Amino acid sequence: MKYFTTRNKKYFQMPLALLIVLFFSILGTVNGETTESHATEEAKPVDVAALMIHHVSDTHDWHILDIPQGDGHYLPVAVHLPWIIYDSRTGFQFFGSTEALEASGKYKVYHEHAVAVADATPVLDMSEEEAKLNPDFVVISDAHGHGPAQIFKKATDVSVIDMSITKTVLHIIIVGFALILVFTSVAGAYRRRPGQAPKGMQSFLEPVIVFVKEDIAVPNLQGKHNRYLPYLLTLFFFIWFSNIFGLTPFNSNIAGNVSVTVALAILTFLITTFSASKSFWGHVFWFPGVPLPVKFLMMPVEIVGMFTKPFALTVRLFANIAAGHLMVLALIGLIFILGKGGTSVGGGLGIAPLTLAFGLFIFALEVLVAAVQAYVFTLLTAVFIGQAMEDHSHEHAHEGGHGH
Amino acid sequence: MLLEAAFGVMGAGIGAGLVAIGAGLGIGQLAGKAVESMARQPEASGDIRGAMVLTAAFIEGVALFGEVVCLLAVLAGK
Repeated sequence: MKYFTTRNKKYFQMPLALLIVLFFSILGTVNGETTESHATEEAKPVDVAALMIHHVSDTHDWHILDIPQGDGHYLPVAVHLPWIIYDSRTGFQFFGSTEALEASGKYKVYHEHAVAVADATPVLDMSEEEAKLNPDFVVISDAHGHGPAQIFKKATDVSVIDMSITKTVLHIIIVGFALILVFTSVAGAYRRRPGQAPKGMQSFLEPVIVFVKEDIAVPNLQGKHNRYLPYLLTLFFFIWFSNIFGLTPFNSNIAGNVSVTVALAILTFLITTFSASKSFWGHVFWFPGVPLPVKFLMMPVEIVGMFTKPFALTVRLFANIAAGHLMVLALIGLIFILGKGGTSVGGGLGIAPLTLAFGLFIFALEVLVAAVQAYVFTLLTAVFIGQAMEDHSHEHAHEGGHGH
Repeated sequence: MLLEAAFGVMGAGIGAGLVAIGAGLGIGQLAGKAVESMARQPEASGDIRGAMVLTAAFIEGVALFGEVVCLLAVLAGK
C-alpha cells in the first residue's frame, strides 16, 4: 500500500508510462483491425510463415541486409557462396554463385537444391498441376515465390550431390576461426606469464574451462578425463559460440540446422562406441543379473537405446535453438500480419510495443538457452562416454579389499 | 487447403498447445520443489539452482520434441 500512497512522484512514472504505451497500442491495434482498409495501392500480404522458415534455413548466399535506395528499391548487401556439386554424369562441378549455376544451362535451383535439367528452356505445354504430380518435371517459381512458375524437364538417371559452402558452413568456419583466435591467445597468455593472476580474456574463460573440467568431465569420466577433455571443451565452446553468433544480426543459424546437430551427435556416438568397454557390450547384448527371458527382452531395448541417445541429443539442441529463432521471428512477423501489408498503420504500430517487449524477453531467454544447451549437450556426452567406459568387472573383483 | 492438410494443421495446433501444457506442468513442479528446498536449506541454493536449470533444459527438450513433430505435421501438408 505504501507504494501507491507515497507522495513521491517518481514511483508513478514507470507504471504510468507503461499504461500509456499499453493504452495506445491497444487503441492502434483495435483500430487497425476494425476499420475498412482503404488502401490506394495493392496491399501485398506478407507471407510470414515462409519468411520465418527462410530465415532459419540454409541458403547458398549470405544475404546480410538491404540498403534502401529511397525510391522503393533496395541495394542488397550479400555474399555469393560457391556451389560445389558432384554430378554423377560429369563429376565435380564448381560454380561461383547461383547465377553462374543457372547460367550454365545444365542445372536449375529448386528450394536451394541443384536439380539437373535436360533442357534449360521451360516446358510450355503442360499445366502446373500436372507437372507437380509428375516426378520427371520440376516446377520452379520465380524469385521468392512471386512471378509465374516455370516447368523444366529433369535430366534422367542423374544424381547431384551438393557439397557446397553454404551460409551455415561459412558461419561454422567463422566460428571456428573465432575459437582458434580466442583460445590460442588465451593459451599464449598462460605460456608467457606462467603462475601469475589471469587478466583479460583469460579471466573470463578460465572459470568456464575449469567448470567444464571439474563439473562435467571429472565426475563422469572416472579418472580418464584428460583423454576426452579436448573434445568436451571444443564441443561446449563451439555450441556456445555458434548459438551466440546466431543471435547477432548476421543472419546466422548454425545449431538450428538439424544437419549440424546430427553431425555433433554422430561424433559423440562414435566416441562413445569406440571407448566402450567389454562390459558395456555385455550389457547391451546379454544383460547380466536378470532372468533369461528378460535378457532376450533387454537386447533390442538396449540396442535401440544406443541410438536413441544421440537422436535425443540431436533433436534437443536443434529444437531449442530453432524454436528460439522462430519465436522471435514470429513475434516480429506479427507486426507485419497486423499491418496487413502496409495498409493498416494503426495495427502494425499498435502491436509493435507489445511484440517488441515480449520479443526482447524471448531474446534474453535465448542468450541463457545458448549457454544451457551447450552445457546440457556436453554433460550428456560426458555421461554417455562415462557409462560406456565403465568397467563393471573391476567392481566384482575389488569388492573385498577396497579400502581407502 | 486440402482437407487432409487442414486436419494436419489443426492437429498440429492442438498438439503444440498440449505440449506447452506438459512442459508448463513439468517445469512448474520442478520450480516449486526447487524453491521450497532452497527455503529449507539456503546454503544449498547454489547446487539446487544448477540442478534446476539443468533439469529444466531436459524437460524443455522433451517439450520441443513434441513441437518438432507438430511443425513436421504442418510442413508435410504443404
